Amino acid sequence: MNPIARASRRAAAALVAILALGGCATQVTRVSPDQQIDLSGRWNDVDSRQVADAIIRQSFESQFGSAWATQFMQSNGGRRPTVIVGTVRNRSMEHIPVTTFVRDLERAYLSSGQVQVVASAEERDEVRAERVDQQENAAAETRARLGRERGAQYMLQGDISSIEDREGGRRVVYYQVDMTLVDLESNAKTWTGQHRIKKFVERPRFRL
Amino acid sequence: MRRTSLAAAALVLTAAAACAPRMQPVRPIQANGAIVPSTQDETIARAHTEGRAERERAAAEQDQTVAAALRACSGATCDALARGQLSLGMTREQVLAATRTGGAAWEERGAGFVTTLTARDDGRGPRDAVAEVAYVTLENGRVRSYAYREPQGVRLVASAADATPAAQARARAEALRREGDDFALAGDFQRALDRYDRADVIQPNDPETTLRIARALDKQLRPYEALIRYRLFLHQLEIEKIRAYGDAYANMAGAIAEARSRIIVLERNGR
Repeated sequence: MNPIARASRRAAAALVAILALGGCATQVTRVSPDQQIDLSGRWNDVDSRQVADAIIRQSFESQFGSAWATQFMQSNGGRRPTVIVGTVRNRSMEHIPVTTFVRDLERAYLSSGQVQVVASAEERDEVRAERVDQQENAAAETRARLGRERGAQYMLQGDISSIEDREGGRRVVYYQVDMTLVDLESNAKTWTGQHRIKKFVERPRFRL
Repeated sequence: MRRTSLAAAALVLTAAAACAPRMQPVRPIQANGAIVPSTQDETIARAHTEGRAERERAAAEQDQTVAAALRACSGATCDALARGQLSLGMTREQVLAATRTGGAAWEERGAGFVTTLTARDDGRGPRDAVAEVAYVTLENGRVRSYAYREPQGVRLVASAADATPAAQARARAEALRREGDDFALAGDFQRALDRYDRADVIQPNDPETTLRIARALDKQLRPYEALIRYRLFLHQLEIEKIRAYGDAYANMAGAIAEARSRIIVLERNGR
């Protein structure tokens, strides 16, 4: 084999190696949290955010019959209602992390200044343990007092259900998120919010 | 040969296409990759503005009401206002101040000199320091009576004596006895006994409760306990006093006779 042919073969091999290595490198692109990127069609951040947007809008806009907080303030000399976030049950077959939109909802309630939110059953255990610890270890004038917890008037509960229809490479998935505010004394449902999402997912028949 | 295979394949493809569900083309509402900003912050800001306006309005109304209430109060009414408790003789402003509410919390109905303030929201009505207020009746602009909504029903306060803790206990015990009577009527003596026991805790040494407990125990075939209760009933009535007062206690005569006869029967059976 002549030297030119040998050199060009080596160059070609090096090029192939570089291309192969370049193809294997992980590529990360930072994108805006507002950008909607759907890959698999399963529940994702876009769905969570859409649910939070819709439920928050329904919580405060009177066209959705949600003047409960204002009505409470009117009936109670401007005092704000106190809400505790209960359980949001996932009744779908998918893994759906509900904490993201529940936290969005809590933030909205707090930031609106119309509602007070108290720590949920899970959160308050840690707080209570700390308070009990303070009775032993903190200086008397700085101790958090026992028995001063604020009782909630309403509990926010909810569930997520889904219906799926599948045929060949096509799939339709429907999610329904229902949130309800229950009066803790009377069990009366004071407010309900709902958001529905429907997706059509089509997979190519042949994939590499 | 090749033509036949092609025709067969075409036929299969056509059949497969015919079997697929037919539908209109799917219309997307959002393109994948599009940027759609969240609306949360806008909604929250709007709610914040509205909430602040409402709170300021309510606080101003409350200040005005409290000022008017304090101007017109004296003695016991002032004390009740400070405690956040309703009392007879209060004005409408004083009712609002005592319950820390605004006019929007109440539904006002009136005819002539009498006006009734009813809680507008059935589920979560206004409350004073004692309990949730069901309604307030005003006569010539002053509170004539008011009622609390309590677990055992509505409790009316129409005189100063009704507002005392003793009267409160009496009314609650009475309500529990009524509830127990309903269970006894339905033949559920266990639940009836539970209500009578609770009434006995709230208002101890009441012969009416003791007699009911004795009867319920008797019906449950618990003779020893029934015997003790029948005896206690007679003791509580202070027989000598009854004799002295004569007719005043005549309505209890039947109950006394019943208790005595049951004591005799239960004692004989016990021997």
